[in-house]
Amino acid sequence: MNLTGEFVAFFILSVMAIGGAVFMINFTRVIHMALALAFTFFSIAGIYLLLNAEFVAVIQVLIYTGAVSILMLFGIMLTKHRDEEKGSIAPWHSVLSFIAAGAFFGIVMWIIYRTPIAGEQVDLKQFGVARLGEAVFKQYVIPFELASVLLLVALVGAVILAKKEER
Amino acid sequence: MNLMMVVGPVLLLFIVLGFVTYAILFERKVIGWIQNRIGPNRVGPWGLLQTVADVFKLLIKEDIIPAKADESLFRLAPVIAFVPAFAVLAVIPFTEKIQFADFAVGLLYYMAISSITIIGILVGGWASNNKYALLGGMRSAAQMISYEIPLVMSVVGIIMSVGSLNLHEIVEAQQKVWFIFPQFVGFAVFLIASISELNRTPFDLPEAESELVAGYHVEYTGFRFAFFMLAEYVYVFAMASLTTVLYLGGWNAPFGLTFIPPIVWFILKFSLIVFFLFWVRATMPRIRVDQLMQFAWKVLLPLALANIFITAVFKEIPVIGKFY
Repeated sequence: MNLTGEFVAFFILSVMAIGGAVFMINFTRVIHMALALAFTFFSIAGIYLLLNAEFVAVIQVLIYTGAVSILMLFGIMLTKHRDEEKGSIAPWHSVLSFIAAGAFFGIVMWIIYRTPIAGEQVDLKQFGVARLGEAVFKQYVIPFELASVLLLVALVGAVILAKKEER
Repeated sequence: MNLMMVVGPVLLLFIVLGFVTYAILFERKVIGWIQNRIGPNRVGPWGLLQTVADVFKLLIKEDIIPAKADESLFRLAPVIAFVPAFAVLAVIPFTEKIQFADFAVGLLYYMAISSITIIGILVGGWASNNKYALLGGMRSAAQMISYEIPLVMSVVGIIMSVGSLNLHEIVEAQQKVWFIFPQFVGFAVFLIASISELNRTPFDLPEAESELVAGYHVEYTGFRFAFFMLAEYVYVFAMASLTTVLYLGGWNAPFGLTFIPPIVWFILKFSLIVFFLFWVRATMPRIRVDQLMQFAWKVLLPLALANIFITAVFKEIPVIGKFY
């Protein structure tokens, strides 16, 4: 394996992403967890950038690092943010979860190595934002509209549920 | 990697710091004149060293971290707030040559990276362990998120006209007509939303002295406080540049006055926007918190959506269509 800049960048970004996830689980205060999660989201945007998916990377930062993280921080601050999680997990519990996680990892690796990655190299210039827009609004316009209607229904449903509790 | 890649950003940092130093002095002078005062005139000739003295005072102040504050987050928050402010400058084309990254989705990059600053403000307010700071942080986050939506929606008209998110191409498209004319509604929405994003008067509710003491940075002193302030003024620089690029034709010369170099045109238009920000600050009263949200969702957002619709319709009309 030759040491290119891309490889170094990928290595740093994946360590950042995994590190953020590990810290998110290990922190005891909820707000630290939310920040670690935001950090993971941000590192994943960097990996998208390495894959030449600029639009997806920027949207990842805008939606996940920006909006979703702030929404979580807001939710935490408006509720019981001074609480600390207590480590009251039984010892056999962690052994069991370790085995489960290891098995899942094994299955994923097995699938990855079994699946042949088909397809030839293409010119990356073709896959810009314009191409994405054409695909979404011409080829896949009906699934796209269905997804937006679904989100709208979820939004209206959430408002109705919140209104009910007031009475 | 050539030398300019290393020296360029450092040079830009010093230019931005110089801008911030004199923008603060200029702001105080302008507000002074508008309010029939002289403004700072004691330190140096014409008050030229006033900001330098102020910054020096901040740097030699005692560095206080409140005993009950969340210490690590308290230290981290100014960094999270400042870094995006400088990072957004990377995609802004100052002239045809002077641009650090010709990013294909530059406009969205600006919007995305600038939203990270909100996390810094929110965390700073929370980590201070102070009720006023927390309220200020929450207000700031709510305000900046609400106004980010009309801000992004107002530039969709431009994106539709140009057919690109690249800032360089957006400037190229304005060689004949600046977008301020065909996209005037979009420009108005963008300007108002950008003032609100900058947390400046009349939208400076996050630091409303009369009700919140000073907002999210109540507990901050010295260097860390200076960083929050610096982030705010670097955003003034960035937002004025972005407004110039999007609506005032960037470095393009009006009326064919091309003998004046493009960078001078850019600086002139940029200074006009900066002056406008100070002018608004000196003349407008602060708006109320309930009016703030209603204004964003009931006035600015429908206007921005209407602008998108009008642009789409006008694009199809034969004679007017060539301006869109």
